[in-house]
Amino acid sequence: MENKSPLSPHIQIYRWHISSLVSITHRITGIINIAVITLICLWVSLLLLGESKYETISLLLNSLEGKFIILAITWSFSFQVLSEIRHLIMDLGYGFELKTTKISGSIVIVGSIIFTVIFYLIGKGFL
Amino acid sequence: MINATKKWIFLKISGAILVPLMLWFIINLIHIYDEKYIDVVSFFTNSTSSFLFSIFIINAYFFSALSISEVFEDYIANDKIKNVANKLLYASAVVIPLITIILISRL
Repeated sequence: MENKSPLSPHIQIYRWHISSLVSITHRITGIINIAVITLICLWVSLLLLGESKYETISLLLNSLEGKFIILAITWSFSFQVLSEIRHLIMDLGYGFELKTTKISGSIVIVGSIIFTVIFYLIGKGFL
Repeated sequence: MINATKKWIFLKISGAILVPLMLWFIINLIHIYDEKYIDVVSFFTNSTSSFLFSIFIINAYFFSALSISEVFEDYIANDKIKNVANKLLYASAVVIPLITIILISRL
């Protein structure tokens, strides 16, 4: 049976704002993150195959591409964390003014890049 | 309380729990991804790490299943396709973390 309830409007109809950019990126990074977590579950499972079989995965992760993938994952996780905190604050009833949504949206975008650098430095023991 | 309200509350609680777990995991992932096999295994066999990782993946799949079902609600008009997609989503949200946790316990 076809559902007659309205679907979300196509994203190309309205003019883009920071809030719409953060909203759609939140959804995209959410889907990327769960795909990444699935791959991480697979990675952990492959540990059972033993050290010799792990060598191939280790080579990939130690390559330049591997480091780029880890940085991309870090950004995606950072974006999701900041965007989720923004959502939780809005759920408490704060930050609905147009100016505030622009500022909080900008904080999420810029903050995710800063967080990526900070997390990488902490993870590698530089901080 | 209607189902939509319950779903919203679960989504918010799991989202709040996920934030510190994501921070913990991403920092540790950066620390171990290029380490030797023995170091990666020792991370996942450490009781605190394996416990937190298990909670992290259970919560992440639970949160994602609820979130992605909202995306299905917004963009899939056909109820049959939406129901199948939701069932597959919820099944994978149970099966994948469960299998991973069992495998970690055998490391």
